[in-house]
Amino acid sequence: MNGYAGKILRLNLTTREITVIDTEHYEQWVGGHGMGSAIFWDLVEDKSITGFDPRNVVTIMTSPLSGTLAPGASARTEVQGIGVQSYPIGWFTRSNFGGRFGPMLKFAGWDGIAVEGKADEPVWIDIRNGDIEIKDASHLWGLDTWQTQEEIWKEVMGSAEFGGWMQLDQGDNERRTTQRPAVLAIGPAGENLSRIACLIHDAGNGAGQGGFGGVWGSKNLKAISTIGTGSIEIADANALMESRLWAQKWYGMHVDHRFGDRQPQIVVWDRPEEARPQACFGCHEGCRERYGTGLGNESSCVETDFYAHFDKRKHGRQTEAAFIGADLLQKYGINAFEAWRGLEYLAGLNQRGILGPGREVDCDLPFDQLGEVEFAERFLRMIAYREGIGDDFAEGFVRAAERWGRLEEDLQTGLLRYSYWGLPTHSYDPRAEVSWGYGSILGDRDINEHGLNWLFWWSTTPAWERKAPPAPAEAVVKLFAEKLTPFEGDPLMLDYSSENIYSPHMAKLVAWHRYYTRFWKQSALFCDFRWPLFFNDATPDHRGIAGEGEPRFLNAVTGQDFSFRDGIDIGRKIWNLDNAIWTLQGRHRDMVHFADHIYEVPYSGLDYPSYYLPGRRDGEWDYIRVNDRHLDRARFEEFKTEYYTLEGWDVSSGWPTRETLESLDLAHVADTLAAGAVLGG
Amino acid sequence: MNGTRRGRIEHRRSGLSRRDFLRLSRSVAIGAVVGGALPGLIWLDNAVAAIPASDGYILVDTKKCQGCMSCMLACSLVHEGQENLSLARIQVVEDPFERFPDDITVEQCRQCVEPACLEVCPTGALHVDSAHGNVRRVDVDKCIGCMSCVGACPYSPSRAIWNFRDEHAQKCDLCVATPHWKEEGGPNGKQACVEVCPVGAISYTGEIPVQAGDEGYKVNLRGSGWGKLGYPTD
Repeated sequence: MNGYAGKILRLNLTTREITVIDTEHYEQWVGGHGMGSAIFWDLVEDKSITGFDPRNVVTIMTSPLSGTLAPGASARTEVQGIGVQSYPIGWFTRSNFGGRFGPMLKFAGWDGIAVEGKADEPVWIDIRNGDIEIKDASHLWGLDTWQTQEEIWKEVMGSAEFGGWMQLDQGDNERRTTQRPAVLAIGPAGENLSRIACLIHDAGNGAGQGGFGGVWGSKNLKAISTIGTGSIEIADANALMESRLWAQKWYGMHVDHRFGDRQPQIVVWDRPEEARPQACFGCHEGCRERYGTGLGNESSCVETDFYAHFDKRKHGRQTEAAFIGADLLQKYGINAFEAWRGLEYLAGLNQRGILGPGREVDCDLPFDQLGEVEFAERFLRMIAYREGIGDDFAEGFVRAAERWGRLEEDLQTGLLRYSYWGLPTHSYDPRAEVSWGYGSILGDRDINEHGLNWLFWWSTTPAWERKAPPAPAEAVVKLFAEKLTPFEGDPLMLDYSSENIYSPHMAKLVAWHRYYTRFWKQSALFCDFRWPLFFNDATPDHRGIAGEGEPRFLNAVTGQDFSFRDGIDIGRKIWNLDNAIWTLQGRHRDMVHFADHIYEVPYSGLDYPSYYLPGRRDGEWDYIRVNDRHLDRARFEEFKTEYYTLEGWDVSSGWPTRETLESLDLAHVADTLAAGAVLGG
Repeated sequence: MNGTRRGRIEHRRSGLSRRDFLRLSRSVAIGAVVGGALPGLIWLDNAVAAIPASDGYILVDTKKCQGCMSCMLACSLVHEGQENLSLARIQVVEDPFERFPDDITVEQCRQCVEPACLEVCPTGALHVDSAHGNVRRVDVDKCIGCMSCVGACPYSPSRAIWNFRDEHAQKCDLCVATPHWKEEGGPNGKQACVEVCPVGAISYTGEIPVQAGDEGYKVNLRGSGWGKLGYPTD
């Protein structure tokens, strides 16, 4: 199959052994998450170990599309392993990041990396084409993520002039590049084993969820650098080029000609005018920016949200504090969602007189300075270096609340906005956008998958602006429903009314979303922000590229004949393998529930006081307001039964069954579960 | 692609790589000069002085570029049938930590009116293609791999680049020869980098840009749509 480099790098940091896995061995999984789960399954004998155990294997995987012209599918890199962030168990989990690391790894000749063991002293990995070295990182330990990258650039590039041709290898082969190495690094938060530490690449690409920064720290792994001059073979170059131009023409932004209200940037702060959009590798529509101030480069979405609110509240307008706060997150390598929700929580406790100097939770953060640069510096430094009560913060705010004896009460009131698995709630609350919450609690993390979430944005933002939505709800739902193979043609899957959210239709929507994302987004590595596009305002029939574009690009690169449905089927297989791993980690149906406030406190809106989604009202489709409701505990249990039944999992335990696993060609997984006495009946 | 690869294999089988040949030919050239065999070189100089200007040029807007490298990927794809940044005839280099606009450079071949790369080519491999609008191109069959053109290009990074895979020099041909793309290229056709750029930061012109400095080649392609995005258009 084309699109592969052909080899996966296996690094044992304990023994310092460097070995090679043939990509071909895992080709049935195509790439990314599927390959990562399968490699993890094979390499980690005891799946019940914690994320900090040296036996934990972290996989860093690309896809056949990485480093190619496939739009919004060239740059993502999937990271997996046992995480340390979720609660009460650190699940086998995933995170992915953009930039240019994945492509550069492919150009160096590697489809992925599997890291196991623990180095006896800090190390970094130097990959230059086929030359791999595990190097001493004592001079890098203590540096922030940006300093680390710049130091490694200098070390790899030597005296080469920036922007000129640099000969990569010693010797006479004249392999040259103008590019800097792509480096993935941890900052002080990861070094200090924070459970909310990230892996950071370039200025603003982070694998944030799961706490993989802390996992790397526990392995004494500071950074991986890769640079390569090799080629990625494309099965049908003309088809790839033509498909790219087709996608751009009909589904792109056309910034100079046909530009309406849609903005490619996904930044929340008030941005300076001196700026450019900045895209990940190969992307047709960059979503973040670099600025004339040099502050806030490449941050997007929640990183731009984290401190902007506090900044504006303090100053009545935004200052540079918002940008500096984001930069500090990137440099220390701290999960933006934890920092944001965590700081909201601390501020709430402070307002209630619970947290402060000499209070029930003794904390000397100067909350009268919240919104100032100095406060952000102090708060984030406390996390990164475990200073004072920062030792609790670094554990993540659910574990901090547990240490303070406040976990039960604050999850019940919702003061601590952590809905699923002890992880911060996205702004898309489970009580409103149930498909987001259900996907998260049935899996391992806040899904952070926006394919269905566009239903919210298309219906809600026009309502905020008192404009008509781009199309009637019934028409939009029909367009979505026709793509939801193998459940296509059931629009009730997209009915978010309170009467329908526990139904078998909703179970099918959640299952489809799990399969789609596990394969097309996390294995083929189409970017979450740009795929799947269901609705398109540029074509007369408003049909998006979803379902058509994904296989078209994968086939042009690989030379295979994947259908959209094939990908969904592989996604289902991956989802089942992941559930088997969680089962071996100790998951049981009884644990699969939201935090109490999701069942007991109506969703006021918080971030979105008016939250619209499609649904039926008196039998008629409309965009309906879904605030002011909470989930029903008993009915959610009924939903779980519907869902497990649909999946062919054991209804009483949620464990996979032999019949289902064997139907997916996973009999060996069933054998392992049976040996562990956790195979569903 | 297959033909090229076969050629490479045969070349290797001969036991003499282009680079080996270069070392040999350099010695021969020096010997020839010492021996007074200059007419060929003089002839070349005269030819250079008389060459016609290219009918077409690529222009870039470094303030509009989003740094996605799609131009490099497209260039490599249509010419080589593979994705390879090092074989792209346009180079984008970024520093993610730098301030806009100094965070990105875009370096394309200038199709110089007086091309230094062509002047130094000892075999005429680097030539003016009169059949395709006088584009400065490399005839890979004539290229002996001396890399003189790579060294002679006065710009950094050199716009004449060394194809270490197939062992010959190459440079931007305005997509005259794109064996892996069915579009008509060249001065009267399409260029892959121009077509693929998602933000319109690369354009084509038939006008000869100002040759001195970067001004003629690094231009402002930002229109009102760009302003609507909230970005500077001046």
